Formats: sequence, structure tokens, C-alpha cells
Amino acid sequence: MTRGGDNRKLAALAAVRSEIEPAMAGAQAAPPGLITVGPETGIAARARRRRIWMYTARVATLVVVIGGWQLFTKLKIVDPFFYGQPSGIVLKFRDWAEHGTAFGSIWTEIWVTMREALLGFAFGVTGGIIFGVLLGQVRFLADVLGPYIKALNALPRIVLGSIFIVALGLGTASKVVLAAVLVFFVVFFNAFQGVREVDRNLIANVRVLGASRFQVIRHVVLPSALTWIIASLHVAFGFAIIGAIVGEVLGAQHGLGLVIFNAQGNFDANGIFAAMVIIAVIALTAEWLIGRLERRLLRWRPPAITDVPGI
Amino acid sequence: MSDITQSPVDSSVIELSDSAGIELSGVTKRFLTPSGSIYTAISDVNLVVRPGQFCAIVGPTGCGKSTTLTLVAGLDRASAGSVKVGGHEVSGITRSTGFMFQADALLPWKTVLGNVMLGPAFRGVSKQDAKATAMEWLRVVGLVGFENHHPHQLSGGMRKRVSLAAALINEPSILLMDEPFGALDVQTKAFMSDELLALWERTKPSVIFVTHDLEEAIALADKVVVMTAAPGTVKAVYDIDLPRPRGAVQEVRFHPRFLELHQQVWAALREEVQAAYERTAEPPPSTELAGRSRSTSAITPTRGDLQ
Repeated sequence: MTRGGDNRKLAALAAVRSEIEPAMAGAQAAPPGLITVGPETGIAARARRRRIWMYTARVATLVVVIGGWQLFTKLKIVDPFFYGQPSGIVLKFRDWAEHGTAFGSIWTEIWVTMREALLGFAFGVTGGIIFGVLLGQVRFLADVLGPYIKALNALPRIVLGSIFIVALGLGTASKVVLAAVLVFFVVFFNAFQGVREVDRNLIANVRVLGASRFQVIRHVVLPSALTWIIASLHVAFGFAIIGAIVGEVLGAQHGLGLVIFNAQGNFDANGIFAAMVIIAVIALTAEWLIGRLERRLLRWRPPAITDVPGI
Repeated sequence: MSDITQSPVDSSVIELSDSAGIELSGVTKRFLTPSGSIYTAISDVNLVVRPGQFCAIVGPTGCGKSTTLTLVAGLDRASAGSVKVGGHEVSGITRSTGFMFQADALLPWKTVLGNVMLGPAFRGVSKQDAKATAMEWLRVVGLVGFENHHPHQLSGGMRKRVSLAAALINEPSILLMDEPFGALDVQTKAFMSDELLALWERTKPSVIFVTHDLEEAIALADKVVVMTAAPGTVKAVYDIDLPRPRGAVQEVRFHPRFLELHQQVWAALREEVQAAYERTAEPPPSTELAGRSRSTSAITPTRGDLQ
């Protein structure tokens, strides 16, 4: 090796060190997970501009769709009798707020549906997690029950709603059970899969460290399956609302499903849409709450490099 | 419980006498493959690791080195033969064992501190004491200031140091290591090896260190065991008489005795690596069993036993 080569190497080493050392010092000093950014860089400004454009485009989309709907129905290109009209939907809301629905105050109807959905969600999720973890842990049980669970899952479970109405009456219970059944399978399959996917090494490691079977489940299996379980909650809450609404359509004395069914009978398109909007607001609120829960419980996960908001 | 709160350095004297010997005699392990045939991972393995001895196992890939470790740890049962640790037949998880896996076995949802604390916590040590001991160990492996980081925030070498602390915190009498530094770059690996030797010399647990890196094996161990291609069995055992403490592993590599030993062990290992390689390089045999029996017959009869 020539002297020049040696010098080049030394220079390269020094360059590497000068890059590494401040980075190391920074890593030592900065609190975990925080990267301090100096004066605003071009990247940050560009990201902000992009965000502003995104929100503008989002609002514009809404305006075009709602405005177009209003316009086309106003011009009678589309018949508002069959397809509703945004202004009619707003009037419907006012009517419901002032005079209530045919079955009572709109708030009562919303509360009835929400209670059914929430109870069904709670039971379904609890049952799904318990059975998912149990069957995921006990291979024999999974092998015995597997085909039956698959068969039950293949059934169009909405039909069970009729059975539940016959058996449990027109009250809350039948809707809760229907919602719970729908939720159960979604959560169950995810919990089961999550438990099956647990890294064998992690389990072996804590077993060697002296963990009991319960401690293995508590410290390894459940946290590991949680990623799967929480992912299923988003879908599961949708199913809980479907269960409650369908149950009410099939037979009820209160609830948004009944309001929709009644509006359908009266050819009241605006009433159907208005109820739909309410359901959408409930679902979006729940989605937001589940998203927050997800971020909180899964804080340990490495952040994605590009944080693209999911749709 | 009182000794738990003491620094690991102070209790080393007590632990020294506790380190347990490991004895495998005639151990065979067979697995049922998904296709229904029986696969023999290791067959008739005989091996003795004296208390406090550092034993490295080398062999071609898939020769059952890892299987041997899981049997000693009690994570799996031998199909035949006896596995004894500290004079007792292994049944259930072997007590007082530290295990370091090839892949990261840190719980990603726990912080560095939480991971290191697991050992004492599972033994029923109070949270406060467990935390104090864990902090002590983080100081030993040089990770103070990182206790609240999650594993994904650390480099590969740092994660290995956390694993090392987590494996050693219960002051195990045997330490089983399954290619622990296999995924590290050469420099970090050398550095970690030094660190491992320094820690081992404090409490002197009996070690079985599985690796496919012959230089690493000779630099670290008192004894190098060469295993044959699958089904694995002990082919030869070499005592490494390099002086201790060895110091930096990069330097011991240039010791004349090191080169001599390396040549000897490599001669034995090469045949097995070749046999394993040929098996995968050849066109697949008509049945799985035929392929296996042929390679078995290729094994040279120089099989050495015991220490």
C-alpha cells in the first residue's frame, strides 16, 4: 500500500468518525424517541405545504359531491323523491330534533342502537379473545373444534338474527347477541392467528428464564397477539353496528334500524340518508377511539418510515 | 433474596462453586416431519462439559447443534439417551440456565430495562429489587442511559448486549449460546466476544457455545467439539490449551498455537462441511431416507467421544 493510499484511508476513517461521534453523542443526550430538528428545513416546509393541499382537496371533494347531489336533484335530473336531497336531509334532522321520530326522541333511538352495538362489541371481543387465545394455545382443542368453527363462519350469520328475535324477543337482548356473534368471529380468527404467529424463540426465551405457563401468556402471547387483535377491532365495530341495525330492521320497538325501516316503508329517502349520516358519525367516532387505543397499546412498535394515514 | 441486590461482581465467588457440569450420553433426537417421515437430528451424542468449562460446538449447518442446546435447556426431550445437568437428569426446564438465541429473543414491547428484569421477575423477586439488579447489569454491559429504549431503537450489537444481560442476570450455572453473534458484523462480533469472555470469567458458568465460525470457537473455548453432518454426532473433541485470560480475541488469532489448533480442527470440520454441502448441491435423491443413509456412511470413523 502506498503512502497516498494510507493517507486516503486515514482521511476516510476520520470522516467516518466525525460523522459517527456527534450522532452517538446525540443518541446519548437526546431523550428516547426524540429527534431534535434545528431551523425549519426545506423538507418540513414541503411537508406542510403538501398537508395544506391535502386538506383543501379533501374539502373540495366533499363540496363537489354534496353540491353536485343538491344541484342535480334541484334541476330534477335526478329525482329527489327516490334519491333524497342534501337540503332535505338537513330538514329531516331539524324535524327529528324538534319533533322526534315516530317512536320517540331521536336521542333515545340513537342511544338504543349504540347500547346494543357497544354491548355486542364488548361480548364479542371478550369471547373472541378468550377463545382465540385458548384454541391458539391448546392445539388439540383447535384440531377438534376447527372444522365446526369454520362451518359456523361459512354460514350467513345475519340469518341468525331471525332466530334470536324469535327466541329472545323484540328487546335489546336479541340485537346484542346478533352483534356479538358477528364480532366474535372476526376477533376470534385474528386472536387465534395472532397466538399462532407468536415467535417461538420469544416463548423459549422466557421459559428458560423461568416463566410459568400463565406468565408466558401474559408477557409474550397476549402482547404479541395484540397487534392482530387490535387490527380486527376496526372491522369488528363495523360488524357490531351492522348486527344492531339488522336486528332492529328484523324486529324492534326502538332504534335507528327501526327508523330506517319505517322511512323505507314511507318512501322517505331523506329519512334513510339522515339515519345513515348518524350511523356514520357513530362509526367514525368509534374508529377514532380505536385508533387512539391502538397507538397507545402499540407504542413500542417502530414507527413506519413514511407515515401514510390508512384509509 | 439479599444477594440479588448486590452487584453481580460481588456474588461471583458464591456462584463459582455452583456452576454445574453437563453430561450427554447416547443422546438421540428424532423429529416427525410434516410429510410423516422421521428425521434424526442428532444420533448417539456423547459430550461432557465440566463445571465452569467453556465448550464450543462447531459443525456444518443443520447438524443438530441447536437441537443439542434445546435438549440441555429442557425445552425439548431426547428420544433416547440421557441428558444430565449438575448430576440430575433434565426434566422440565433446566433450572439456572441462561440461553442466548441466534435471533433476537428480546420482547419488542418491553423496554431494555423491562427485558432485563424478566429473569428476576419470573423468580418472584420484588419489582424494586429486580429493577435494581437489572440496572446493575445494564451498567455491566455498558447500556446505562438506554434503559427506557425499546429494542428496535438499538443497534444489533446493543441488542446483543441486552440479551447477554438478560441471560446472565439470574447468574445461571450453565449458559447456552446458539450462534449468538452470528448476525453481527465482524468488528462488533469481536468486541462482543471480548465482552462475553470478561463476563464469563467473573462467574464461570459452564458454557455450550454453538457456532459455525471456527476461529470464534477456538478463540473463546476450552474445548471445541466437531459435529458430523446430519444426523449429527460428535466426530472429534479438541482441547484448546491457549492460556487464560485470553485477552482480545483478535489478537489471540495470531498466536502460533492458535494457528496450529485451527489447522487440526479445520481438517476434521472440512470433511463434514463438504459432506453437508454435497448433499444440498447434488440432484435430490429418490427418497429422503436414501439420501440420509448415504451421507451417514460417508462419515469418517474417527468419531471421538467425551472430553
